[in-house]
Amino acid sequence: MSLQERLPAILAAAQQELRAAPDLSALDRVKGRFLGADGAFTALMKELGSLPKEERPLAGKAINAAKQELEAVLTELRGVLELKAALPKEPADFTLPGRRRPLGRLHPLTQVTDSIVRAFRKLGFAVAEGPEIEDEVHCFDALNTPKDHPARDAQDTFFLDTAERPLLRTHTSSVQIRVMEKTPPPIRIVVPGRVFRRDNADATHNPTFHQIEGLYVDRNVTVSDLKGTVEAVFKEVLGNDVKLRFRPHYFSYTEPSLEIDFTNALVRKLGKEWLEIAGCGMVHPQVFENVGYDPEVWSGWAFGFGIERIAMLCYGITDIRLLYENDVRFLKQF
Amino acid sequence: MKVTLNWLRNYVDFNGTPEELTERLTLLGLEVEGIVRLTGQFDGVVVAQVLSRDKHPNADKLSVCRVADGQGERQIVCGAQNFKVGDKIPLILPGASLPLKAGDTQPFTIKVGKIRSVESHGMMCSHEELGIDPEAIGHRREEGLLILREEATVGQPLAAYLGLSGSDVVFDLEVTPNRPDLNSLIGIAREIAAVTGNPLRLPQVTFPETQGASASIRLEATELCPRYTARVIRGLKVGPSPAWLRSTLEKVGLRSINNVVDVSNYVMLETGQPLHTFDLRRIQANEAGVAEVVIRRASDGEKFTTLDGREHTLNPDNLLIADAAGGVALAGIMGGLHSGIQDDTTDVLIESAYFTPTGIRRTSKSLALRTDASYRFERGADVQATESASRRCVQLLLEVAGGTVSGAAVDAFPNPPQVKELTLRHDRAQVVLGVEIPSETQAQFLSGLGLEEVGQGSRSGSVTSVWRVPSWRVDLKREVDLVEEVARLFGVDRIPSTTPRGAVGAHPFDATYDRFAEVRRILTGLGLDEAQGQTLISDTAARWASPDVVLLANPLSSDMNALRPSLLPGLLDSLNHNLSRGNGDVQLFEMGRVFSLQNGVAREGWRVAIALTGARDPRFWSGADRDAKADVFDLKGLLEELIERLGLRGVVYARRPESTVLMLESATVTLGGKLPLGQLGQLLPTLAKRYDLRDAVLLAELDLDILLARGNSARSFKSLAAFPSIQRDVAMIVPEAITHEAVLSAVKQAKPNNLEAVELFDVFRGKHVPEGHKSLAYSFTYRAADRTLKDEEVQAAHDRLVGVFQSALGATLRA
Repeated sequence: MSLQERLPAILAAAQQELRAAPDLSALDRVKGRFLGADGAFTALMKELGSLPKEERPLAGKAINAAKQELEAVLTELRGVLELKAALPKEPADFTLPGRRRPLGRLHPLTQVTDSIVRAFRKLGFAVAEGPEIEDEVHCFDALNTPKDHPARDAQDTFFLDTAERPLLRTHTSSVQIRVMEKTPPPIRIVVPGRVFRRDNADATHNPTFHQIEGLYVDRNVTVSDLKGTVEAVFKEVLGNDVKLRFRPHYFSYTEPSLEIDFTNALVRKLGKEWLEIAGCGMVHPQVFENVGYDPEVWSGWAFGFGIERIAMLCYGITDIRLLYENDVRFLKQF
Repeated sequence: MKVTLNWLRNYVDFNGTPEELTERLTLLGLEVEGIVRLTGQFDGVVVAQVLSRDKHPNADKLSVCRVADGQGERQIVCGAQNFKVGDKIPLILPGASLPLKAGDTQPFTIKVGKIRSVESHGMMCSHEELGIDPEAIGHRREEGLLILREEATVGQPLAAYLGLSGSDVVFDLEVTPNRPDLNSLIGIAREIAAVTGNPLRLPQVTFPETQGASASIRLEATELCPRYTARVIRGLKVGPSPAWLRSTLEKVGLRSINNVVDVSNYVMLETGQPLHTFDLRRIQANEAGVAEVVIRRASDGEKFTTLDGREHTLNPDNLLIADAAGGVALAGIMGGLHSGIQDDTTDVLIESAYFTPTGIRRTSKSLALRTDASYRFERGADVQATESASRRCVQLLLEVAGGTVSGAAVDAFPNPPQVKELTLRHDRAQVVLGVEIPSETQAQFLSGLGLEEVGQGSRSGSVTSVWRVPSWRVDLKREVDLVEEVARLFGVDRIPSTTPRGAVGAHPFDATYDRFAEVRRILTGLGLDEAQGQTLISDTAARWASPDVVLLANPLSSDMNALRPSLLPGLLDSLNHNLSRGNGDVQLFEMGRVFSLQNGVAREGWRVAIALTGARDPRFWSGADRDAKADVFDLKGLLEELIERLGLRGVVYARRPESTVLMLESATVTLGGKLPLGQLGQLLPTLAKRYDLRDAVLLAELDLDILLARGNSARSFKSLAAFPSIQRDVAMIVPEAITHEAVLSAVKQAKPNNLEAVELFDVFRGKHVPEGHKSLAYSFTYRAADRTLKDEEVQAAHDRLVGVFQSALGATLRA
C-alpha cells in the first residue's frame, strides 16, 4: 500500500488510543508513540524521502494535515483530563455547615432606641444628652415639680452619698432644662438616656431603665403639632396600623398634659383595648420662665416614654430582667 | 435660544450692562448659559481720502500716499494701482484686524511698520481684504482698492457707510419647557419690560390689505391643526437678504439662505410663530383657479420626501399639508423637497398655523426629524399669534423682496379656544412665599406680563382679582402659577430666608450619637454581642475596678449600693450568668457611663469595654485550630481594629510589671505613653473562680470620650504603588527583654531608605534558641514611589538596618 493509503488507518488508530487514555500521563505516552521521535508519524516523514520527487509534496501535505488533526484532538483531550485532575478526590458536600464569621448583635434596647431616634431625626430633631447624676434644680424645681411631690422623696429617688447630695435623674426631662438654659429657641431635640427609680427589680421593674424624650419649641407650636409628631413617630416605630388616643392627664411641667394610649394588632392579641405608652403636653409657661424664655412668644411641647416598654412590646419580651442579664441566647435573637 | 442685545432693544429699552441683563434674566428663570461679545464688523476701518500719491523711492510697484482719515493725515505705503488722488477708499488703522477669511486661524492685525524703509501708518484695503462682495453693495468689482462712492464721508466708520450694525452681545438663554413663549424675542422682551417697567414695543405692521381670492384652505384635521392662516404675495424677487437681516440671523447662529426664507426665520425668532413659505406654482389650483391647501392626515404608507432629501413613509398619525396631487409639507416640521422657494420663485403662499404639540411630537419622534419649527410647536405655540405673525411676515417680505399682496388673508379657525381666567387671592402670595407683597404691586407684575385684570372680589376674607391669561402663556393654569409669576418679578432673592422650622435641632451630642453607633457597628462587625449592664452594682465589685467609688445614700440592697466605676464588673456578671446557663463561649462589649469620685464630687464619663471567654471561633468540623480558646491577642486584635477604624495614632501598649486586683497579666493602653486610654489583660484566676469562669477571661476597657475626641474619621486617598517592591526577611535571636515595640523603635531610628512596611511573622522559643532568649522573624518591604528599586540599594539599606539590630538590640542573626 502506498503511504497515502496507509495514512487514514494510522490516524484512526492514534485517535482511538488517545481517546482511550485515562489520565494526562497516559495521554502523553500515546502522543509519544505517534508523534515522538520514534513515532509512527515521524517514520512516515522519513519514508517521504524515498518517494518519487513529484509525489512528495502531496504526500507531505497529507501527513501534515493528519498531524494537525491529531494535535487538535490532543488539545481537546488534554483540557478534559486537566479538569478531571483538578477535581478533589472526594466531592465537596455542600450541605456541610460553612465556616462562619458571625456578626455580633446590637442589644434590643439599642435597636429600639435607634429606630425611635431615626423617626425623630427624619422630622428634624437632633439627638441631645445630659448627665445621669443630676441636681434637684434640673430634675425637679425647674420642671415646676411641687416641693411636696412624692417624686422628690427618698422612697422614689436615689440620692448619692456625696457632699452636695445630688441624685440620679428620674427622667430625661432634666435634659430639657439643661438644653433650654444654654440654647435660645427654636429647639428640636430628642433625648435617649438612662434614668433611675428606686424600685425593686421584678418582671416589670428595674432600678435602671431607659427613656426617650422629644422637645420642640418654636413660635406658634400647637397641640396639633404635638399630635402629628407623636403619630408620625409611633407609626414609624410600631407600624402604620397603630392607633393612638390622647387622654387629659397631669404632669407638673406641661399644660395641658396628655397621656397617650395606643393599640394595634399586638395589643389586641394581649387581650387589651388600649395600652398606655407615653406622656406628653405643652411646655408649661412656668418652665419657660424658669429657663428665661418668653412664654408669650414661644410655645412648645414635650413627650417622653420608656424604651424598655416599647422593646418588650415590639419583641414580645415578658420579663424586663432579660434585658440586663445579657444571656447570649437572648442577645442572638435580635 | 440665542438673542442679541441690539435686537432685543428693538422691542424694549434696557439701559444696564450686558452683565446686569444676564443677572436680571437669570433671576427671572431665564438662565443665561453663555454670553458672547461681537465686535462690530469692520471695527477700525474708516472712509479715507487720498490726498497725494508718490512713487516709493525704493520700489517700482509701490506708492507712498498721504490720506485724510477724518482726524488728520497719515502716510500709507500702497501696492495697488487702481486709484487716484481724491478717491475715497477704506482705510484700516493700526491696531485693527482684518476680518477672518476661510482658512485663517488668527486675525491679521495692522501695525505701524516700514515697507522698504518708508513708514506706513495703516493700510488701504481691497474688497477681498475686507471680505466684501463689491457688487452686492453696488460698487465696481476691480483689481486693487475698493473705491467708495464720492459722497462717502471721510472719517465715517466703514460699517456705517455700508449700513451695518456695530458691536453687539449675543445671549444664549436656556428656555424651560413650560415657557414656549420665551422662544421668541418678543417673549423675552416682554419679561424685561415687566421687570424693568419699561414699555414693550411691538412691531407696527401696516400694509395695504387687499380683497379677493388668494388661496383656499381645506382643514380636514382640526384636532391636529386647530388653525391655519394663509396669505399670498405675488411678484416678489428672491435674492440675497439685506445686510441687517443677514447679520441679525447670523449672529444668533442661523445661516442666511435668501430673502424669503430669511424673513420667515426672522419672524419665527421674533414672534415664536413658525412660518412656512411655499412657491405658489407648486400648489395645485382648484376648479376656481385658486391654489388649494389641504391639511389632512397622511394615508397609511404614503411616501413623502422632505427638503433634506429624505423619503419618509407616513401613517395617519402624521399630518400633511397637501394639494390635490399630494403632500407639499410635513405639517409644522419640514417642507417638501419640491415645494420650497426657488431662485425663480415670484409668487409665494405664507403659511402661519397652529399645530398641536402631541401631534408634532409624535411625528417628529417617529420620523426622527427635529427642526426649529417642530421644537416650537412641540412645546406649544400661541394659537392667537398665527394671524399677526403672518402679517408681520408679509410686511417684511414686501420690504426686502418686493411684490404685492394678492387677495385677502384666509384664516381657518373653526373653534377658537375660550379665554382662560384665573382668580388670585392676594394674601395667597404671602402664604406661599412667606413675604408680604402689596396687592397693587402684584397686579402691576401681572399686568406687565400681559395679563389683564377683569374683575375683583373677595373670597373667605381675602381680596381676590380675576385675571385673563394671554394666549401665549400656556403654562398658567391655576392660582399658584400666578403666585409664581409674582415671585419671579418680585425677585426670589428678595424673599427673606427664615430658619428652617424643625431643622433647628442642633446639639453637640447629635454627632456623638452617630459616632457611638459607628463604634457599635465596628464591634458587632467584629463578632461581639452588645450587652447592657446595671448602673448600680455592689461596692465590693466596684472596688476591684477603682478605689474612688460613688456610693448611694439610700440603696435598695448591698449588691446595688454603688455606681459602676467601670463596665467590667457588670460584664463579669454577664459572663457568670451565661456560664451558669451553659453558654461557655461568650464575646461581649458594652458602651455606657461610669462614675467616679473626684475630690468628693461625682463625675461621669463614657466607656467601652470588651469581655471574651471560651472558644475563639464558632465550632467547626475540621482544622487544627478548631478548639482554640480566645487569648489576649484575640482581645488585642479587636482593640487594634477598633482603634485603627476610629483613626487614632500613637497608641502604646505597656505591660504592667505586676498583677492588679483585677488582672493577672495586663497592659495599660495610652496615647503616646502619656494620656491614659484604658487597659487590657487577663482576669485574675481567683476572681474567675468566684464568678465560676473556667476558661481564660480577657477583659479590656477604654475611655470612649477620649477615643472619639482623639479619633480622626477624615480619610484621604494615597495613590496606589506603581512600582514593584522588594522584600527582605530577617530572623534573629534577641534577649526576652527586647519587645516588638523595641524592635520597631530601632527600625524607626535606623530609618532605612524606601522602607514601606515591617511585618512580624514568627515568634519562637525552644530548640536552638538559648534560655532567656527568643527568636523574632520579620519581613521588611522596600519600595520607592517613583521608580523600581535596585537590589543593591535595598541590600545596602537593609544591611545597615540589620547592623542596628545587632548593635542596639544585641541580636544575633539566625541562619
